[in-house]
Amino acid sequence: MNVNHISVHVIGAAVFALGMAHGADVTDATPAQNAALHKTIETCGTCHGVNGRSVSPTFPNLAAQTAPYIEAQLHAFKDQTRADPDAQAYMWGMASQLSETSISGLAGYFSQQPAPAGRGGNNTLIAQGKQIFVEGVPGQQIPACATCHGAQAQGNGPFPRLAGQHAPYLLRQLLVIQSVLRTAPVMHGVIKDLTKPQMEAVVAYLESI
Amino acid sequence: MARSHYMRGYIPIWVCLGFSVALANPSWAVPSFARQTGMACAACHTVFPELTPFGREFKLNGYVLDNIKQITGIDTSARQTLAINSLPPISMNVEISYTRTGEPLPDSAIKGALAKDGDLLFPDQVSFFYAGKIADGLGAFIQLTYDGAGDHFGLDNTDIRYAHHLSFGGANGNNHELILGVTLNNNPTVQDVWNTTPAWGYPFASSGTAPTQITSAKVDSGAGGFGQTVGGLGVYAWLDDHFYVEITNYDSSIPGGAHPLDSTQANVINGLAPYWRVAYEQRWDRNSLEVGAFGLDASAHPGAGTPLQGPTDKYKDAAADVQYQFIGENHFFTFLGNYIHESQTLDASILDGFAANDKNRLNTVKAAGEYYYKRLIGGTVSYFSTRGGSDALLYAPASVAGSANGSPNTNGYILEFDYLPWLNTKLQTQYVGYQKFNGGTTNYDGNGRSASNNNTLYLLVWIAF
Repeated sequence: MNVNHISVHVIGAAVFALGMAHGADVTDATPAQNAALHKTIETCGTCHGVNGRSVSPTFPNLAAQTAPYIEAQLHAFKDQTRADPDAQAYMWGMASQLSETSISGLAGYFSQQPAPAGRGGNNTLIAQGKQIFVEGVPGQQIPACATCHGAQAQGNGPFPRLAGQHAPYLLRQLLVIQSVLRTAPVMHGVIKDLTKPQMEAVVAYLESI
Repeated sequence: MARSHYMRGYIPIWVCLGFSVALANPSWAVPSFARQTGMACAACHTVFPELTPFGREFKLNGYVLDNIKQITGIDTSARQTLAINSLPPISMNVEISYTRTGEPLPDSAIKGALAKDGDLLFPDQVSFFYAGKIADGLGAFIQLTYDGAGDHFGLDNTDIRYAHHLSFGGANGNNHELILGVTLNNNPTVQDVWNTTPAWGYPFASSGTAPTQITSAKVDSGAGGFGQTVGGLGVYAWLDDHFYVEITNYDSSIPGGAHPLDSTQANVINGLAPYWRVAYEQRWDRNSLEVGAFGLDASAHPGAGTPLQGPTDKYKDAAADVQYQFIGENHFFTFLGNYIHESQTLDASILDGFAANDKNRLNTVKAAGEYYYKRLIGGTVSYFSTRGGSDALLYAPASVAGSANGSPNTNGYILEFDYLPWLNTKLQTQYVGYQKFNGGTTNYDGNGRSASNNNTLYLLVWIAF
């Protein structure tokens, strides 16, 4: 049997198997809504990881994020009120057709996924960031981040979980919120005087826990 | 001499072309996908047509990710019988170019006369695309192109694919994610998702009217390749965003001319030509690294006046490729490299008097480093080389296109500068410099032409909308 014959058989068998797989889906007993949600999770997972833990810091981890925050952000993408560059490039399209059922289903799913593990970095920077997170910067009237985001940065309802989040993602959010490309009324006041080195310290700390 | 000669004329020419025109060959940016997904070009491309990791996922998933209203249908057992976009994902590509070679080319009809120095093509190409979802899991990239130089309209790169996503048990609750797919396409490697393989490899756009080297490997889309003259059916698997494996079988499907194919056609595949591909990709932070291999086994009749029976020419291509991408906030860097080795056994060409050696080989190397700042300005430095055994008949002397010493050896470099005022508009300045062309540096063709006479300045406006 030469290579031509082998490849023909491989392709033939695979095409047949795919046809069977497709057929199995059609007669699958899974409720249609669950199947649709599963498919949506797969789509989100392309960037965010099916388990909510993403590889690229362009895309935030969603695992263990608070459900109310995920819901609020999906609504903000859908109605285009969150308008920072990446939101427009990626999420306006992705969220545009999501139903209320899908939004709550996605929020429920990702909030239940195991949290990403912290990643160590520059210890000096992390210590500086921890101080800002826990105590704020009194001299600049910057309150402690932990006040809203929780002592372990675990999030609290509409206030997002920050622990274990990619530092470059968090830094980008701080910058676009400060420049009002992303609307976040509470945060605008809180971080208006936060300097970039302070941001870099606090996001290094958050990524590490 | 050629270089300074070009540069003197460069700025005024560019200004004239300015914002009025678009780009070249081949053409691939597809706003159809942006229309279907609602996502900006930047989601799938660093700078078009090069794909980001997300762009690769989009393609591997069958081009079906959609975020626009669907027209759907089900039967009485709730099987989905229709799912199409309410608006078709169509788009257009316009390319306008200016090519100038180091020395003018000979007149095609009058011996001793010269063709016009410089070639404006308006258009170089105009393409229409349907690119996107056809049904649940089924999508297509279909390109129809009008070629200005050839005054020809036809089917360009086409890839129709079905993909099915499976999750199955892994350790610690981390499921394995598997995409299984089928591809139906008309150009080996057009289905590939890395920009190291020929169909979508660098240079992304180059002059269609400047002289090109006398030969290239069969799996390459260049001279003597199978691009748009074959049809192939293949299957692929993509596991855990790491492992890719594919096998596709091709047969000749030559547009126009005699059908069924006969002796008046050229380069006709005998039986089927299997193409194979394996790749591994690792992603970390903002980086991705791919290492892979691919190949093509083709047995072909030379045709061109000889019957499609009897001995054939056999080509075995094996290639290795590597791609590294860094996608930062403001800085984008890519390295693309491939090496193709082709073994030829030319039983038919020997018999028909087209080749002097029964066995020949070709080794091709391409390497390109790209940098872009904010997807706004950037450029590429590239090196290319083709080396092979000499064959006085296969690589015969001929004005411009031939080889005086029967050698296919060609090598050179490409320098490219790009400015993208918008993500879907690229203003490209490309300079191709040849150190060796068809086996020589001076009088390579036996008609007094030097390799550097083929150095090419190529200005291109590429607009996709």
